[in-house]
Amino acid sequence: MSDTPQTLLSVENVTLKFGGVTAISGVSFDIRKGEIRAIIGPNGAGKTSMLNCINGFYHPQEGRITYKGETRERMRPHVAASQGIARTFQNVALFRGMTTLDNIMTGRTLKMKANIFWQMLRIGPALKDEIQHREYCEEIIDFLEIEHIRKVPVGRLPYGLQKRVELARALAMQPDLLLLDEPMAGMNLEEKQDMCRFILDVNKTYGTTIALIEHDMGVVMDLSDRVVVLEYGRKIADGTPDEVKSDQKVIDAYLGVPH
Amino acid sequence: MQELGSFLEVLISGLLAGVLYSLVALGFVLIFKASGVFNFAQGAMVLLAGLALVRCLDFLVARGMPFWAAVALGMIFAAAVMAICAFMVERYVLGPLVNQNALTMFMATIGATFVIEGVAQMIFGSDVYPLRLFPTDAWIAGEGVFPGGILINKLDVWGGVIAGLLVVALALFFQHTKTGRALRAVADDHAAAQSVGIPIAWIWFVVWLVAGLVALVAAAIWGTKLGVQFSITFLALKALPVLIIGGFTSVPGAIVGGLIVGAGEKLAEVYLGPFIGGGIEYWFAYVLALAVLMVRPQGLYGEKIIERI
Amino acid sequence: MLYRETGQYKTSYAADSVIFPIRQDRIGVMIVLAIAFVFMPLMMAFKIPPFRNDYILLAILLPFLILSLAAIGANILIGYCGQISLGSGAFMAIGAYMAYKFGTGISEIGLPPLPIVVSILLGGFSAAFVGILFGLPSLRIKGLYLAVATLAAQFFFDWVFLRVKWFTNYAPSGSVSAPELKFFGYLVSTPIEKYLVALIFVTIFALIAKNLVRGNIGRQWMAIRDMDIAAELMGIRPLVAKLTAFAVSSFIIGVAGALWAFLRLGTWEPLAFDINRSLELLFMVIIGGLGSILGSFLGAAFILILPILLIVVPAEIGLPITTETVSHLQFIIFGAMICFLLIKEPLGFARLWQIGKEKLRMWPFPY
Repeated sequence: MSDTPQTLLSVENVTLKFGGVTAISGVSFDIRKGEIRAIIGPNGAGKTSMLNCINGFYHPQEGRITYKGETRERMRPHVAASQGIARTFQNVALFRGMTTLDNIMTGRTLKMKANIFWQMLRIGPALKDEIQHREYCEEIIDFLEIEHIRKVPVGRLPYGLQKRVELARALAMQPDLLLLDEPMAGMNLEEKQDMCRFILDVNKTYGTTIALIEHDMGVVMDLSDRVVVLEYGRKIADGTPDEVKSDQKVIDAYLGVPH
Repeated sequence: MQELGSFLEVLISGLLAGVLYSLVALGFVLIFKASGVFNFAQGAMVLLAGLALVRCLDFLVARGMPFWAAVALGMIFAAAVMAICAFMVERYVLGPLVNQNALTMFMATIGATFVIEGVAQMIFGSDVYPLRLFPTDAWIAGEGVFPGGILINKLDVWGGVIAGLLVVALALFFQHTKTGRALRAVADDHAAAQSVGIPIAWIWFVVWLVAGLVALVAAAIWGTKLGVQFSITFLALKALPVLIIGGFTSVPGAIVGGLIVGAGEKLAEVYLGPFIGGGIEYWFAYVLALAVLMVRPQGLYGEKIIERI
Repeated sequence: MLYRETGQYKTSYAADSVIFPIRQDRIGVMIVLAIAFVFMPLMMAFKIPPFRNDYILLAILLPFLILSLAAIGANILIGYCGQISLGSGAFMAIGAYMAYKFGTGISEIGLPPLPIVVSILLGGFSAAFVGILFGLPSLRIKGLYLAVATLAAQFFFDWVFLRVKWFTNYAPSGSVSAPELKFFGYLVSTPIEKYLVALIFVTIFALIAKNLVRGNIGRQWMAIRDMDIAAELMGIRPLVAKLTAFAVSSFIIGVAGALWAFLRLGTWEPLAFDINRSLELLFMVIIGGLGSILGSFLGAAFILILPILLIVVPAEIGLPITTETVSHLQFIIFGAMICFLLIKEPLGFARLWQIGKEKLRMWPFPY
């Protein structure tokens, strides 16, 4: 990382409403290239909605989102994906009828160029695509240590592994910005440790910028470079883990006092 | 005046025919509201109810029973048949599929349709059986206003009145009884409803029974009009666009949808038919439904779907 | 013991991603193809039992092949892309009638009668075009609503081919006859020849379908089927994925429709492609296996063979049974099968087949 960190994505004054309910009001923060940025806050604070805005699934009524220097208007999620934003989901959103390998291969969709006529015959560019991207996916499979479940339909996998496959699928997109929505929810300690290691490795090895939502404060404080805290759709704190940890508002709203 | 008169005549006959679509659609809505199941078998149930009624009636009349008593017994018999049908469907088709997705349930009811149609015809026969429960002659209204007056079929009026009563009764049932509330809970989420102690099997039996009785009413009216026969099942397919237009969950929607379809297709047939070849009654309802869907994907009365992830 | 993959090592991803990675499967497929292409025609040619007459050929094998093809088409849309369709019959009809139009020439635009293969393919393309049109609403309409929208296609085209005389070349009876079946200058007339033509078409299209569903586009279809929102966030464009599924599916169904009309029926009316045909295809897909090419064949075989068994078996054991009862029984058994499979094995016969193979691989050990 260079000394003057570049801003990859900035969120300015974003407000999101569903009918009469305001999910996010006037939130601003930025994500720098190469950092791990955590978004924390109590349930219903608007964290997932924030991610949904970032990758174009929801469209905020007010405010601007600037990504890679470009401010965007209403964009479709697949456009966000093609610009290098990948994500995982709070409730695992894998393609349950497909094998682990096929799930991960869907992450390469945008990079496959062979047209349908080559695909019909599965020769030439289509076959080259398949093999070449298979190699890349195998690298990720290797990296996340899921070789043994390569050809198992994901519906049959235990929850912890499903989360890992989901991460693999997002990584297959070679994203510039990776959004992780509670990657460790519902995991046991060992699985959490593995997941932490993978997240740090991804950040180091591929230089991927990561924004994550997580409730386990230990994890958040250890992993992230900077933390933004939301409550009732508003930002109440923003800073390094240490700053946030000692912020009185954050303690009142979310962390509480250790007994 | 002559033209207005004939327009009104077409419109009224269309609206009253639409009432019958509404009746079948109502059966769909009931089951959909109560179980989230889109019941393809509603038409088969109309056939089953009609056959049970007419065959029992004929049997009793042939044995010398007075007509009114035969009708009463026939109705009871048909209702009992519908109860058995409801029980079997719940027990062997839907019960094992609790918590499956809507499309699986839908396809299962297509399977049930075939079974019901097969069984009904095997037991009760597969001919055309005439049924005479309501007067079928016409009376003439508004003679002073329009030359020649407007021809209105008495049967259609009967159908309208009965459908109206049914709707009121069902609305009361849904809104003001404990069972009605339980039904709505089940429709929302099977697992959640089960977890608060709603006996899902019983609820489904009740609702399929009610839908069966609605089918019986529809069968009585349609049977009087056209005779009880296999083609009555196509009626159910006509009810599908009605549902689309009205929305899957709305009782008033089913009624309004039925009226729109009934009136629309008659008017289209009379005023548009001559230009593009006639017989457009056959598809008009579906294309109308498709057009409605393009504008409002959840139907006129359906609830808007918020997608989340 | 014969069915083991032990010792068959893959040294490249290419070798690992072929259709049949296990050697025994490849041998099996070769044998099936050899029987279908060489052995059976020889038996038919020499009238060796059970091919004493043309009954089995015309009443079972030819319909089986063509309906399998249609079921593959339906399966792409319903099983792979998750878009339920009750209008497959209409797309068969479009394929049939447009192939007929192209095969007899369209005088209005000065188009001479086209060669038969070209006509059949153009019939397929016409169906694909209409499929795309009716697929457009699928972007806004989902699930059950879409099923009803496809019914609109079914009823609309029933009517079109009945009432719009242009499609039937103004034939007074409303029924039309296939043009002369000349394939590359060779006149196809005997049942064996028709069988072989159908077999060639089915083999080619089954291979194409298989290639598509295991490639990039197939993964997109399945992703849309399993979780459309997540698929879009992965960069899959729902518009493209759904419309290609509609197009490919309708194309294959359209080709099957043209083959059905030309090879099986010869002379036909719109009734040949009504809602019952659509439901029949849906049943084949469900019974055979949603999302399985092999399942399409199994489903078609089951749906065709069951009624014949219902006629033949009682007759053999001397049970008097009327044709009416047969058709009712058929209804009941189909319906019960559908319910049973949806409850017990939603992935149909294809899944049972797969489980059988897995068991066989382990045999005689339980794990």
